[in-house]
Amino acid sequence: MNYKELTVRFCGIAGDGIVSSSRIISGACADAGLHVMVNDIYSAEIRGLGKSTSTIRFSGSKVYSMGDGINALVGLAQQESIDEIEDIREGGSVIYDSSSPADIPETESLASHIPPEVNGYGIPLKTLANQASGSNRGRNIVSMGALCHLYGLPKTIFINQIEKIFKRKGDKVVESNLTAFELGYEYCQNQYPLNNLFVMDKKAKPLQIISGNEAVAHGAMDCGLKFFAGYPITPATKIMEITAKELPKLNGWTIQVEDEIAAIGAVLGASFTGTRAMTATAGPGLSLMSELINLSVMAEISAVIVNVQRGGPATGLPTKVEQGDLNISLYGGAGDSPRVVMAPTCSKDCYTSIQAAFDLAEKYQTPVIFLSDLFLGQRLETDDIKRNINYKKSTRIKPTRQQLKNYQRYALTEDGVSPLIVPGEDGAFYSITGLAHNTAGNPNFESEVHLTMTQKRFRKFKSMVKDLPPVEIIGDADADIGIACWGSTYGAIFEGMQIARHNGVKTKMIKSIMIYPQDEESFKTFFASCKKIIVFEMNFQGQYAALLKSTYNIKPVEVHIPSVDPVSPAKIAAKIMEVNHELTQ
Amino acid sequence: MNSLNKRAVLEGLERAKIKNKSKWRDILPTWCPGCGHFTALNGLYEAALDLKIPEKNFVVVSGIGCSGRFPFFIKGFGFHALHGRALPIATGIKIANPELTVIVVGGDGDGVGIGGGHFPHAVRNNLDITYILLDNSIYGLTKGQVSPTSPVGMISGTTPYGNIARPINPTTLALAYGATFVARVFSRERQDVSDLIKQALQHKGFSLIHDLSPCVEFNRLITYKSWNQVVGKFPEDYKADNRTLALQYAESKEPVYLGLFLKENIPTFNDHVKQIFKKIDSTEKS
Repeated sequence: MNYKELTVRFCGIAGDGIVSSSRIISGACADAGLHVMVNDIYSAEIRGLGKSTSTIRFSGSKVYSMGDGINALVGLAQQESIDEIEDIREGGSVIYDSSSPADIPETESLASHIPPEVNGYGIPLKTLANQASGSNRGRNIVSMGALCHLYGLPKTIFINQIEKIFKRKGDKVVESNLTAFELGYEYCQNQYPLNNLFVMDKKAKPLQIISGNEAVAHGAMDCGLKFFAGYPITPATKIMEITAKELPKLNGWTIQVEDEIAAIGAVLGASFTGTRAMTATAGPGLSLMSELINLSVMAEISAVIVNVQRGGPATGLPTKVEQGDLNISLYGGAGDSPRVVMAPTCSKDCYTSIQAAFDLAEKYQTPVIFLSDLFLGQRLETDDIKRNINYKKSTRIKPTRQQLKNYQRYALTEDGVSPLIVPGEDGAFYSITGLAHNTAGNPNFESEVHLTMTQKRFRKFKSMVKDLPPVEIIGDADADIGIACWGSTYGAIFEGMQIARHNGVKTKMIKSIMIYPQDEESFKTFFASCKKIIVFEMNFQGQYAALLKSTYNIKPVEVHIPSVDPVSPAKIAAKIMEVNHELTQ
Repeated sequence: MNSLNKRAVLEGLERAKIKNKSKWRDILPTWCPGCGHFTALNGLYEAALDLKIPEKNFVVVSGIGCSGRFPFFIKGFGFHALHGRALPIATGIKIANPELTVIVVGGDGDGVGIGGGHFPHAVRNNLDITYILLDNSIYGLTKGQVSPTSPVGMISGTTPYGNIARPINPTTLALAYGATFVARVFSRERQDVSDLIKQALQHKGFSLIHDLSPCVEFNRLITYKSWNQVVGKFPEDYKADNRTLALQYAESKEPVYLGLFLKENIPTFNDHVKQIFKKIDSTEKS
């Protein structure tokens, strides 16, 4: 049988090498020019025997989501892997260790749970690993050899990758891993002679593999980030770890502070001096930051706040994804407190949009909340990101000599943006405050002044529309069904649209990185062209739908996907078919 | 500002004997006549003048409370932040631009109440900033409630049956957290306040000025008079170089010592950063 796409899952416990297995496979595939997406799932507790899985989907063409189901399960831990069997597609396979049946009762073994429509391949993983390296380590590499044979994958890409990854550990380690791979391959070849072939484009160029968190960190540093303050929190910590290492090389600095309040505080302080500054957190941290984000609005201090969403409320689900922080991002502040809210959909977006976030923050002297999420932040994905080094599309507007004579920090202007100098610069000085203030920046509680200054702050958001990353209309322009979604669910919904199209139902989608403000005219035109609108999002309330309904006066079909592991394109397609059925009734 | 307010303010300035007006902003202080904060303001004026700190590099960060308005009364850049959040903001400012002279001003509620969680970390980073903690043992701006430094038994709006919680001693805290310059002053001693603020600004590292700065409006218990009865000077041979000894003196109730408790010279946060930059530069070149 010929394959063009495969999804493989490794399941095991700590020490089984789950993550390293998926890194080898994903690296091998990306180097061979295949498109890859990797999703790791692990429990929130760090304990020795915690179960973890890593799923790798790879294909000759671009993958936008984790898809539905898996082709092969590699069960490195027997009992833990039993639950994963239900995800295996018909005709799929399970690779299990046949060398140690005595460890567990027959009824609890992985092999005894394999249903008839799934192929079980017993391989003495432990025995072969010991043969290769003298220890149990390397069972994952043996299973990789088996996998390589079972699906007719080119051996060389694995061999190259094993050499590449283990090189720094010395020749001996490379050698034993190569042997483990070879033993797995040979055993399988002898025991299970098959005629499968993974069809590859030999001319494909190697692809870069990157997570959303990495893309955010590098995008920010490439556009002039010089200061990062943060507090460790799953799933955002990786961003701080990257900037901590890389910023000093760029004469910038990362500080781990005592809490998220201090993190946003330090960011505002740095930004006050004219430095591009950022923090990254998750829901609980964003909650703590609310008050100082409000100060950022009131005192008009540029700031970029990345929120890698996890399940909530409170401590919630630290290792699960949810799109539940839209409301707090949009409305989480006392008073009338406008702020920019953006949501990237993929790694490439993370890179380019974080730069757009700085463009908006710097030019319009506003906080920008950048809503990534756990799935997007942690998943690995191949993408062709063009590095945009030293990118600075916008800067803060400086006052003219004339304006400096009687400098007004909050001078009223047509677009709402006041020319700005910062400490250390000549010409004038001023104080900023979270109190209501006049154009000079001095406290003032007159209602007329308050109204004028509130209008000024909101005016910036009208002026901003010309500078927003444009919306994209995706799919069939003549479709009756229009879809809106936001953030990382985009990929699965896009694939769901494709499945629906195969089944004869056309759809179109409005893709917008901008949540607030939006290019309202484009949205209005799009919605006016739809007979039926579906809004998909991964939260219970329908937070984005609520925003769209109140802004555009639409009555969409709302699909609230519960916090789950990656969204299923098949279920999205089923919903589209259902709506189409109602429409054609 | 109406004429009544202006008169009260001018009276306050007069009583504080602020003579040198060259560091004044056009905004007049909002404090009550006799407020201890005027002395600290005067001290900062004098220190800024003596040390010739350019206004463009002078940054005062404050929190909320009567002390919060400080930045508006002084020539330079000011950041009137949120309640308790001045120290993290100052941290960002100083790391981002080490050339700036950064002064944080806050009250007892701001510094050891709502912002108490930031205090140890600002200290242990040893950034080169000066923190003037104006301690009046009362929430003045909300018209008289107990603060974290109020004595046990104090009757206030929120403790009508007497304060139960024991007071915090900010001098002790700073010493325990490892501050490299710790001084306690009393707003009645104008010259000492000015001198120690100047020394604090000259110190390389985190400096605390714990200023006993009575509230003349809402605190009937902790007053100029009550402090005057207990304050005392260090023995002549006190050297301010021993943290354990400094802690003992800090905890003394009678007398309540005034002056420099400790001064220690170690590299500042930005010194370390500079070193790391240098190291990276040399490895990149090699």
